[in-house]
Amino acid sequence: MRLSITHYSATSAAGTGLAALRESLATRQSGLRRNDFPDCDLDTWIGRVPGVEDVVLPAGLEHLQSRNNQLAWLGLQQDSTLDAIAALAERLGPSRIGVVMGTSTSSIGRTEEAYTQLEASGRMKPEYRQPEVHNLHSPGIFVAAVTGITGPSLTISTACSSSAKVFATATRWIKHGLVDAALVGGVDSLCLSVLYGFNSLELVSSEQCRPFDRDRGGINIGEAAGYAILTRRDLAPDAELLLAGYGESSDAYHMSHPHPEGKGAIYSMSRALERAAMAPGEVGYVNLHGTASKANDKVETYALAERFTDTTLVSSTKAWTGHTLGAAGILESVIAIDTLETGLLPGTLNCEHTDPEFRFPVMTDNVEKTIDCSMTNSFGFGGNNASLVFRRRDD
Amino acid sequence: MTELQLIGLGTWSPKHGNWAEFCTGVTTGDWRDDVMLQPDLIPPRERRRAPQLVKMAIEVMDQACKIADLAPDDVAIVFSSVMGDLQITDYMCTALAQTPKLVSPTKFHNSVHNAAPGYWSITTGAFCPASAVSAYEFTSTMALLEASVQAVEEQTPVLCVTQEIAAPLALMDTCPSEVPFSAAFLLAPAGYSDAPLATLRFAVEPGEAEWPALEEGFAEFASNMSARLLPLLASLARGDDANLSFPVNAATRIVISASLDGS
Repeated sequence: MRLSITHYSATSAAGTGLAALRESLATRQSGLRRNDFPDCDLDTWIGRVPGVEDVVLPAGLEHLQSRNNQLAWLGLQQDSTLDAIAALAERLGPSRIGVVMGTSTSSIGRTEEAYTQLEASGRMKPEYRQPEVHNLHSPGIFVAAVTGITGPSLTISTACSSSAKVFATATRWIKHGLVDAALVGGVDSLCLSVLYGFNSLELVSSEQCRPFDRDRGGINIGEAAGYAILTRRDLAPDAELLLAGYGESSDAYHMSHPHPEGKGAIYSMSRALERAAMAPGEVGYVNLHGTASKANDKVETYALAERFTDTTLVSSTKAWTGHTLGAAGILESVIAIDTLETGLLPGTLNCEHTDPEFRFPVMTDNVEKTIDCSMTNSFGFGGNNASLVFRRRDD
Repeated sequence: MTELQLIGLGTWSPKHGNWAEFCTGVTTGDWRDDVMLQPDLIPPRERRRAPQLVKMAIEVMDQACKIADLAPDDVAIVFSSVMGDLQITDYMCTALAQTPKLVSPTKFHNSVHNAAPGYWSITTGAFCPASAVSAYEFTSTMALLEASVQAVEEQTPVLCVTQEIAAPLALMDTCPSEVPFSAAFLLAPAGYSDAPLATLRFAVEPGEAEWPALEEGFAEFASNMSARLLPLLASLARGDDANLSFPVNAATRIVISASLDGS
């Protein structure tokens, strides 16, 4: 089942809102900066969204205070997203809209903070006893509360594929008639758990990340919030942009290493194309997972070589934004969807030397080209993969 | 109205080791004490290293597949828990509150919410889709709804796990889970099996619902937000048809009926 995409927006280090993101991509201006995250002395670069800590949650929602919800709120205020949701709720009724959010670590930054000042008894101080914050559904709770959507709401947390999988769940809900439309999205914010966690796995780079470069030295952690509104096609018959297909798979290999031949990635891309009833040659651009880790980038080219020919242009945008983990799916979906609108295909930033081990060419310069179909890949720890196909309407 | 089949069940807590023991407990009041968690599917050496939350999930998933006589690499997964691995969250946050901040790489990669489906995929060789979800206090009902919709719309069996381990002290005020509980529902589209355990019918409708009361024998699970489908499991264990309403959020409820004769 194809769905209309009636609205989309993203906020990341590469720009707060869509116009700023487009500008960064067009001018090849990275949003990465030297690590200046409080209480973190790691020698690395990060994709930090300016001003998140100054965002004030709406009156009445102070009990949901966390960096993650501040970022969720900042993102929701861009590109008239709140107006689009309000108009949809007015038309369909708030109970006919679902909320499906993706996150890897939810509001754990707030939990980390609470642990630095526990009471002598071992309990959290009263101001940190926020049951609706210290759980994985915190972004779903916040987004439903602030938008007034009352339909089913769920948060998916499958590491770095989380907010790509929200499109699959929303499609099934709408196809089943559970809801008529869905607000999907993802929010992940910088926190010590991921900075020190990825550092413990020796996956964090001390320089700006260089996806698909021969000399790539690992990832930069980033943060982002993004949203899209999906509806049944008859509810938005004039919508130009469609979600055409999704594919989900597991790797059956290792908790933190991709399958060495990219088997899970091949399954997710193949299932997405199959559902979209499209041939690989019809895809003009793929926004890759491309984290700049040694293993991911190599294996992703293996998987691409199994499905595509080099008439399909592919790149990673993580050198603009950092790896935004549970928000990478929605952020890179927005970038992939927007290529259909702008015709600007972003070449991989910071990639100077191609790796002889690669089996598929990765574009390094921006290309202007009108395309009808784009894809995105998101692969996560636990060997959890999702691929999405977007297209311009053809009927 | 959504119709589907329940073709397998698995469950574990410190007072019952599997579905048969759960049925005995419900019908006779005889429960065990301090049941060990020893999932056969995980090789013994790996078992020692695997987190409790992962072992609980693998145990009940394996039980449900065995009851359904279904190969474990042939089912999609919807894993759910309110808070994920509370012990690892406690470990990470404690370690990060100290100087220097040192965390174990293994504990970090096990901290992802999809650790259990990840281990399942690695252990069984399954390339099937796998999800891990939360809906705070509505996690168990939303997971069952998510898995049911997936089973029907993808025409595939889906293994739905709902579970919570016991919370450490610092997280007790926000996720007060005192006794671990885990259950797996193996769901399949209508017509999938000739001999389902039950036919399930769902209706999702606007309106509030109270959580159905837990019977006396389940008092220790009252604080475990992932044990709120116990009234449905108890009804199935007694061999009774069920017709129960549960909230899926503050404004929406799901009405679930289960008929055991397959009608």
